[in-house]
Amino acid sequence: MHAEKNTKKIWMIIVGCILGVIWISPFYLMLTNSFKTKKELFSDTLGLPKHLNFDNYVNSAKDLNVVSTFMNSLVITVVSVAIIILFSSLAAYAIQRTKSKWSGFFYMLFVAAMLVPFQSVMIPLVSVFGRVNMLNRPGLVFMYLGFGASMSVFLYNGAMKGIPQALDEAAIIDGASRWQIFTKVIFPMLQPTTVTVALLNVMWIWNDYLLPSLVINQPGSQTIPLTMFDFFGQFTKQWHLAMAGLTIAIIPVIIFYFVMQKQIIAGVSEGAVK
Amino acid sequence: MLGIKHKLVKSVIVGAALLGSAMTMTACSSSSSKTTTVDFYNMKVEFKDQLNAAAATYNKTHKGVKVKVTSVGGGTDYQAALKAKMQSGKTPDIFALEGPQQLQTYKKYLSDVSAGKAIKKALPGTLNTVKSGSQVLGYPVLQEAIGIVYNKTIFQKAGIDASKITTMAAYENALKTLNDKKSELGIQAATAFPMKEWWVIGQHAVDPFLSQEFNGSVTKAYNAKTISWKNSDYFKQYIDATTKYSAQPVQSMDYSTQIEKLFSTGKVAMAEQGTWVYPTIESVDKNLAKDIGIIPIPVNSKSAGKLPVGVTQWWAVNKQADTKTQKASRDFLDWLFTSKTGKNIVLTKLKVVPAYSGFDSSKISDPLGKDAYSYISDKQTQGLVFGGFATGWAQNGMAPELQKYVSGKESWNTAIKNSQAAWETARAGQ
Amino acid sequence: MSKKKTWFYLFSAPVLIALFLVVLLPFFYGIFYSFTNWDGVSQSAFVGISNYINALKDPTYLASLWFTIKFSVIAIVLINVIGLGLAVLVTNKFKGANILRTIFFMPNLIGGLILGFIWQFIFVEAFSAFGKLTGIPGLGSWLATTNTGFWALVIVMVWQYSGYIMVIYISYLQGIDQSLLEAADLDGASATQKFWQIKFPLIMPGFTVSLFMTLSNCFKLYDQNLSLTAGGPYNSTQMVAMNIYNTAFSMNKMGFAQAKAVIFFVFVAIISLTQVYLTSRKEIEA
Repeated sequence: MHAEKNTKKIWMIIVGCILGVIWISPFYLMLTNSFKTKKELFSDTLGLPKHLNFDNYVNSAKDLNVVSTFMNSLVITVVSVAIIILFSSLAAYAIQRTKSKWSGFFYMLFVAAMLVPFQSVMIPLVSVFGRVNMLNRPGLVFMYLGFGASMSVFLYNGAMKGIPQALDEAAIIDGASRWQIFTKVIFPMLQPTTVTVALLNVMWIWNDYLLPSLVINQPGSQTIPLTMFDFFGQFTKQWHLAMAGLTIAIIPVIIFYFVMQKQIIAGVSEGAVK
Repeated sequence: MLGIKHKLVKSVIVGAALLGSAMTMTACSSSSSKTTTVDFYNMKVEFKDQLNAAAATYNKTHKGVKVKVTSVGGGTDYQAALKAKMQSGKTPDIFALEGPQQLQTYKKYLSDVSAGKAIKKALPGTLNTVKSGSQVLGYPVLQEAIGIVYNKTIFQKAGIDASKITTMAAYENALKTLNDKKSELGIQAATAFPMKEWWVIGQHAVDPFLSQEFNGSVTKAYNAKTISWKNSDYFKQYIDATTKYSAQPVQSMDYSTQIEKLFSTGKVAMAEQGTWVYPTIESVDKNLAKDIGIIPIPVNSKSAGKLPVGVTQWWAVNKQADTKTQKASRDFLDWLFTSKTGKNIVLTKLKVVPAYSGFDSSKISDPLGKDAYSYISDKQTQGLVFGGFATGWAQNGMAPELQKYVSGKESWNTAIKNSQAAWETARAGQ
Repeated sequence: MSKKKTWFYLFSAPVLIALFLVVLLPFFYGIFYSFTNWDGVSQSAFVGISNYINALKDPTYLASLWFTIKFSVIAIVLINVIGLGLAVLVTNKFKGANILRTIFFMPNLIGGLILGFIWQFIFVEAFSAFGKLTGIPGLGSWLATTNTGFWALVIVMVWQYSGYIMVIYISYLQGIDQSLLEAADLDGASATQKFWQIKFPLIMPGFTVSLFMTLSNCFKLYDQNLSLTAGGPYNSTQMVAMNIYNTAFSMNKMGFAQAKAVIFFVFVAIISLTQVYLTSRKEIEA
């Protein structure tokens, strides 16, 4: 029994390693090429860099104006994701717990909205927001709520099904308000989903290019993807700088993911104890 | 219930805070009415740093004006972003135009700039496209030449005289010679042809072969209901020879592979492109970039030795802006193209072939620009016409047909016929 | 009764308002424009339903639609199978499971366009180098033909989204009551039995969510399409989103593009709503 379990484990590790290597290989390219000169990059794309020079990092950090764009990205992402989590979990709670025509209709609305291709709404969207002078950072955050809410409500709605309605009813008998039930009972139980929602939305907003390029593309309020695209001109693509910039840009996200992962595990064990 | 009220209060506060910050932000951008802000929407990301520097210099020496440059990636994305700006009522004060179709589309945003100092110095022909009666609707940005960029060192080693490549036969011979001496010359192939890029095949390669039909006039091309494809046979020869002797696979080759990976590292001797590739080549290999030149794509005897040269971009000034801003916008462009500092920036920083007189051509530093300039001063040029092609035709009507032909999906005649039909359909829809 | 409803509206209002202003209102504008010959800038005239008729007659549009369907079906199946597999793998307790989790999710740390460019590198450079090494012909021209271009898109999509979908499956797998599995262990159930009999039914809601999300992401794919093949050769790998974008901005026919977008939306909506309906029914049965 024990030996069988061990062989199974070894197999898992082997399979895991092979898949891991396949999955990570593009990042090998990103990292190694970030140290190469432009010429070296094109004459030997796959090999290791001949020298470990950090020129690309220095130059791309300067071109990206890294401190200010980084702060912009951070603020926009954190505020947007916080708002998305708060409002879409609330909405999902309301929709899932109420069985009425309206709740069904709202749910369908959210689902259907996920299918609207962004390209088909972008011009009218900018036109509407431009007229009320909202093509700025608060406007962008609001747009992220609109675009991000669907998927988040959808995910929360799925998770909410697993939380017994009896909990609500018991709390109501105890005299709790809906807001109290939500904040004290429901929301804590949704933690694994909240982590998922946060993760997926952070990835999307942190990397988003098209929407901010239409809404806040001005010197001073740019995000990382916006400045990164200056490396990709009409003709020239400055790969060596882009790779270095990219490495700088994804390090914080990797850290964020590690922290989040710990949260997931913590949340799960918490649930198990109870 | 108390909880809900609490929440309400909270969300009101959050909402107010958001609105407040929105207002302060808009207030900031329109503050201090004494300074006129010129919003410059640049399409060439390659010029970003240089134009920012030019604007900074200008703002320092000109009190009361602030030129703000925003650069947006080229082509379709720029058009999308510009349309979005116009829809939102935030049309930039200076923006880029690429040809007659956009002149039509953006009509109500185009002001008459004929009063501009630089316009009077514009070289003959550079204003034809943007003229509307007595009005001039844009500043020509630069002149560009399209042709075959070649590596002089490799040509010399192979014993090829670039100036003799004026006929299709000579071109094929040169390719063959290079191909035969591949290992001796240390090259991978004679040329590199990026068929993935629709603009290389659908606009640039086609241009010299269609130019004669329209007498080299963009406007004629724009008004043509049909194309006759008189030079179809020459074009077939060109495509056949170039793809045959190109590094493979041509179908998935992009601009970056062609220029940065192959040409700039000396792995091919030729590349069909234009004067704009110099900075790219220089960024890969400074030494190799010193020894390059550009020659015309051979068509027939009529155009032998004539380099296709033209203006492919103009800067327009927004008509919807107030007159003060319009004037400030023109002043900045005039300064850039006529003042000593400005001209210096254009020649040595932007590194382009100017579209205005009064420039010291000896200061043109790059070899491609020099070659193009000598063709221009010898009057050995023909007009670029692709700006007048039917809307979307190069990308959707011509390039796919060439790709189909090269991959053996259809015959040359079918490809040509389909491209003609696509032109007619596109024109009929306008 | 009315008190009961107040909280319902208050809780859902903020998101509904945002959804209305950001997605629905512009979308209705879009439907309006689909009946005009709008070019995105100037005044436009009504043209009735001719945009819709032309769209249904446009061979490049229909080809891109068909290509998108083929792509989506294969990608959705692969992403979900592999994503679930990865989730099962990393929720097992063994050394390195956490690191693997991060690695599988890492592709999502990079935005679509840049990701496409990196893969373009791999297909053009790495594959041709590998081809030369092993002597397998055709590896060098991976993005040059319709067929291999198709599979290139599938590979990149699977590589990226498996990790994304994995995250969702993980959240369902970890929601499973451990005591159920322990009870099964005591009954002497094998790992496969445990998976099919206990885990699988319990993650059914996860399927509804994941299938729908992969579906909408596959159908709307644009960035990777642009940076990998740009539709080439001869527009044979052009997907619907790209066809719509090009119609709007390269051909300057905004109204026509909006009509294509509306047809596309209706089409995808029918498919996905059917899917959601069917799988949620399965959920209840399970």
